[in-house]
Amino acid sequence: MEKVKKKIGSFSFWNWVTASIIFRLILIYFPKNLNLSSRPEVSTPLTSFRRLAEGYWLKQSFMSPYAGSMYHGSPLLLSLLGPLTINRIEGQPNHLLYSLVSVIADVVSAMLIRATGQNLRLAYLRSLESLDLVKQIEVSEFLFSGDIAALIYLCNPFTIVACVGLSTSPIENMAVILCLYGACSRLIPLAAFGWVIATHLSLYSAILIIPVIFLLGCGPDSPPRKLFLQRHQQKEVLNQSKLPPRFSWGPVIHFAFWAFLWSVYVLVLCGISLKQFGGLWEMFKSTYGFILTVEDLSPNIGVLWYFFAEVFEFFRNFFLIVFHVNILFMILPLAIRLRHRPCYLAFVYVAICSMLKSYPSVGDSALYLGLLGWFVNELADMQFSLFLFCGYVGVSLLSPVMHNLWIWRGTGNANFYFATAMVYACLQIVLVVEGVSAMLNHDRKLRNLITGKPQDAKS
Amino acid sequence: MAETKEKSLSDEKPKPRVRPIVRLGIFLISHSFLVSIVCCTAGVLALFLLPVLAKNTYISENALMPGSASPMLSNQHVSDGNRLVKDLTNPNSKSSETGIESHKIIAQYMLDLGAEVSFHKFHPQMNQFHPLHFFSSPVSGKIQENYSCSSYGINTVGIIRAPRGDGKEAIVLVTPYNALKSGFGEALSLGIAYSVFSLLTQVTWLAKDIIWLVADSQYGEYAAVAAWLREYQTPKFSSLSTPNAEMCPDVNNLFELKGHSISGSKFSNSFRRAGTMAAALVLKVRDQNEQFEDTISIYAEASNGQMPNLDLINVVNYLAVHRQGLRVNVEKLWPLLNSSWLKSLGEIFESLAKVAKSLYPKWKFGIPATEYVEGTATLASSLYYQALGVPTGPHGAFRDYQVDAITLEISPKFSLDKVWRNDILLRGGRLIEGVIRSVNNLLEKFHQSFFLYLLTSPSKFVSVGVYMIAFALLIAPLPMVAASLYVDANSSSNCSKGDSSTPSAITDTDEHGIAIRSWRWLNSAKLVFIVHLWGAIVSLLPYFISQIPDCSPTTSFMIWVLLSILSLLTLNSVLASPLACAKATQEKEWALVKSVTISSVFIGLGLMSVINFATAEIGALLMVPMCLLARPLKLDVRAGTLRSFCRLICNLVLGHIAFPPAAFFLLKGMLDGFGNANVGDFWMWVESLWAWNSATYLFIGMVQLPCWVLCVSILFHTC
Repeated sequence: MEKVKKKIGSFSFWNWVTASIIFRLILIYFPKNLNLSSRPEVSTPLTSFRRLAEGYWLKQSFMSPYAGSMYHGSPLLLSLLGPLTINRIEGQPNHLLYSLVSVIADVVSAMLIRATGQNLRLAYLRSLESLDLVKQIEVSEFLFSGDIAALIYLCNPFTIVACVGLSTSPIENMAVILCLYGACSRLIPLAAFGWVIATHLSLYSAILIIPVIFLLGCGPDSPPRKLFLQRHQQKEVLNQSKLPPRFSWGPVIHFAFWAFLWSVYVLVLCGISLKQFGGLWEMFKSTYGFILTVEDLSPNIGVLWYFFAEVFEFFRNFFLIVFHVNILFMILPLAIRLRHRPCYLAFVYVAICSMLKSYPSVGDSALYLGLLGWFVNELADMQFSLFLFCGYVGVSLLSPVMHNLWIWRGTGNANFYFATAMVYACLQIVLVVEGVSAMLNHDRKLRNLITGKPQDAKS
Repeated sequence: MAETKEKSLSDEKPKPRVRPIVRLGIFLISHSFLVSIVCCTAGVLALFLLPVLAKNTYISENALMPGSASPMLSNQHVSDGNRLVKDLTNPNSKSSETGIESHKIIAQYMLDLGAEVSFHKFHPQMNQFHPLHFFSSPVSGKIQENYSCSSYGINTVGIIRAPRGDGKEAIVLVTPYNALKSGFGEALSLGIAYSVFSLLTQVTWLAKDIIWLVADSQYGEYAAVAAWLREYQTPKFSSLSTPNAEMCPDVNNLFELKGHSISGSKFSNSFRRAGTMAAALVLKVRDQNEQFEDTISIYAEASNGQMPNLDLINVVNYLAVHRQGLRVNVEKLWPLLNSSWLKSLGEIFESLAKVAKSLYPKWKFGIPATEYVEGTATLASSLYYQALGVPTGPHGAFRDYQVDAITLEISPKFSLDKVWRNDILLRGGRLIEGVIRSVNNLLEKFHQSFFLYLLTSPSKFVSVGVYMIAFALLIAPLPMVAASLYVDANSSSNCSKGDSSTPSAITDTDEHGIAIRSWRWLNSAKLVFIVHLWGAIVSLLPYFISQIPDCSPTTSFMIWVLLSILSLLTLNSVLASPLACAKATQEKEWALVKSVTISSVFIGLGLMSVINFATAEIGALLMVPMCLLARPLKLDVRAGTLRSFCRLICNLVLGHIAFPPAAFFLLKGMLDGFGNANVGDFWMWVESLWAWNSATYLFIGMVQLPCWVLCVSILFHTC
């Protein structure tokens, strides 16, 4: 496997990138046959391209784009992408231009992932060096995690489907990745811009502020600070230069300033574009309000639609609070436990959000699966990998079949489709749990290598 | 589960705190050989037990109330029907070459009753290969063909508007009729339909519109009904876009003529519609008959093994048996009826039931041996036709639009007698009337009863909850064996590594081993993925081969085989030589390949069981033993024990049987005899499968064939 991966990493990385782009272009030429843009897995009320076109049309005819509960995205997307919904080239597929934009967004995201992955790998090697573990862990066996992550992101069927299915999730994902890239390479204005845009496009990215603060405050992922101290206590020379830096507030304040600036800028732009149509309040109500109140109960791959279709109106508000607090509850414990690995923390947050958000799509899974590629070296002994892989394959095949059985054949019912949604949620939970425990085990293993304990104290 | 065991193995001292469910998992995995034998046997046994476990049908929807009203069809209506039969069988009416005269007669009769009449002209549409059909709506992706004016068909449609209805719902009655060479049976079916139709124009209880479709069956019954349904469900708003039958001059002339000759204001040239269809009945009368009593056969299987709601069959069965005294038949696999082993199996079950009853009188599950044999034959044919995925009659076209429909074929015991003819008209008419009256009572779509079931007799069925058990037992060993193989492969390689290394470097190798261990299956997954990709290519090839003009089935088949082998070799060399990769590194590599193969087969079978249960069941019977037994032949030869020898023989036999063409010829030989087997037959069969958009075709191409290839590559693995 390592040979294969190395080969992928060094020689044929660009071949694979080209192949994935060509594959996307081929699929774009058969939009009618695939009909992906109407699949519930791809286009949610928030990311649907048809709704975007409708919102643009409404705006062009001097009505509020949010009229009729059709469009629920950002007004900036309307101004940027809206014209592409109308422009057509003679003899070409209808939405060729927009498809090309999403292909470009995907490639840019992959490149950013690659750069960030290389950063992370270098940081990891540096910290191993300062711990004097380079000999014990064969560094030459280390995989180019950036290349692997980028390839996972580009060749993942979920990403391809989201890209070809004309959803806006490639652009949302790009904003998230931009934010992480900026934070990793300490480009604070860029990080702030990415964070503001990601939050603006999909509310849930707001919680990424915690990993970004950690990233800016103490640098990219490294083993726990305690280890460094232990190591140096053993050697009895306290070399301050080899210690990871302490938390510094300077960049964080810098970031807060830029984030404030960018959000004011974005809000002003939105305000201008919505001046005649009810202003910013209207926008908040029909984007964030729509996300938080789960108004649209059309089926998707999440679990909330079914629950809120069943729940009594009386309890609705209560359960809305319960479901959203669910995400908030996990923020703090994870932040404390994984504070030394902010990028991994970001991956966990993204995965949890894509599991519990009100309108999930496969584009969200594509994002966190791509980010998972950054940690191939650390997660080498993750459990249940084959099981998870088979589960993802099985669910992604079974879900369209169940949908067909329910909607087109009429022989199944909503429970059939919801069952696959539950299995999917369980798979994501297993992935997160196993991922986090594998990462903690990795830290433990490093500690044991330093203190010289035997290997078997794994858990 | 898999890893937990591995962990517990690698650790020196067993951990005291292991959760019970994990312990159960470890237990099952470590005894996977025994478990798989037990599960597979139980699965096959449960399949044979299904006729015993079948339940009696019951009418689930209360609104149907079959037989609660006394039939109103009188001799007056029968004589009306008789008149139509006479007019149609009259040699004068057959003078016209296009058969337009008979359609005119039918239309005139309908008009006289006060129904709205229109003609629907259609071009028979060839079924196109469309692999994505299953995932899309039935109307999307239809390919328009070049029409010629030489071939077209005419459907005559009569519509009665319900006096009490709002015109939102309709019931469809279909009688296939070939005007050019109609038998007496077809005329008789028209007579029955006409007598019912004439009654329904007078009744006051009608709440749904009645559509009587006389489908022109000169290009096949299914094509005519499908063309009419397509027109009905997808109105065309622009007449310019598609070339239409209306454009042909001679057709228009014919209809102008007709406009003059037919009197009545309710005739229209445009397409007429009623509301959404609640149910559809296709009525046929068979010409020759060998039965000793009046029987009525029910055909229900639509495309991809879909069945109409069981309530529709129940209503027909109830009315036919309890009201009209007709014998009801469903299709049986005749060769099974005389098989002695099945009879002895039935006797065993019967005697077992007797013993059980003597032990505890409340246990009453036994059925007589003869009934068991008949039930099994019916069940086998039910499975067979569902597995084929090809509709058994024109009712299949309705199912694509979620309309429940069945075909009723009446086989009268003798013919040509006037009294007998009146009798069959009366009884058939009353049956249809009763069914229509029941459906007329419906307030909602058919939804109460089952959609997923297998019939073991007209009044007995096996529901999804029961037959899924047999299937689940059959495929349950797959994940367990996959997990145990995976664990074995990992732990053994780990051990060998640990042994070879010196103690000082233990941390090093462990590190290395861990890095490989957890993700080592990726290599095998790649091989499995490539073979499945090849399967997809193989399933697409016939589309291109069928474009070659003047190709006999045998040559087409040969081209297909050649191209498939060629593409496998190409893929093999282009994508990092999968088969070479498999044997490259480790001795236990084959176990990992087998583990991933089994996982993929499990996913494929599970998926197929949702799409088309019957295909999955038959596929599982073939593939599960092959997957479970596959092991490199070299290892077995080397071992030289009796057990390995048996496994060798089993592997070789299964390796031959499970190859899809071989399985096809074997099945065909068992049913029809081996005398006239031809290589081209398989091609014809495959062609019919893809012409009907059967998911079975995709299953064979993308699950069974890759699985076979992988298993064979495991068998010939050099280790």
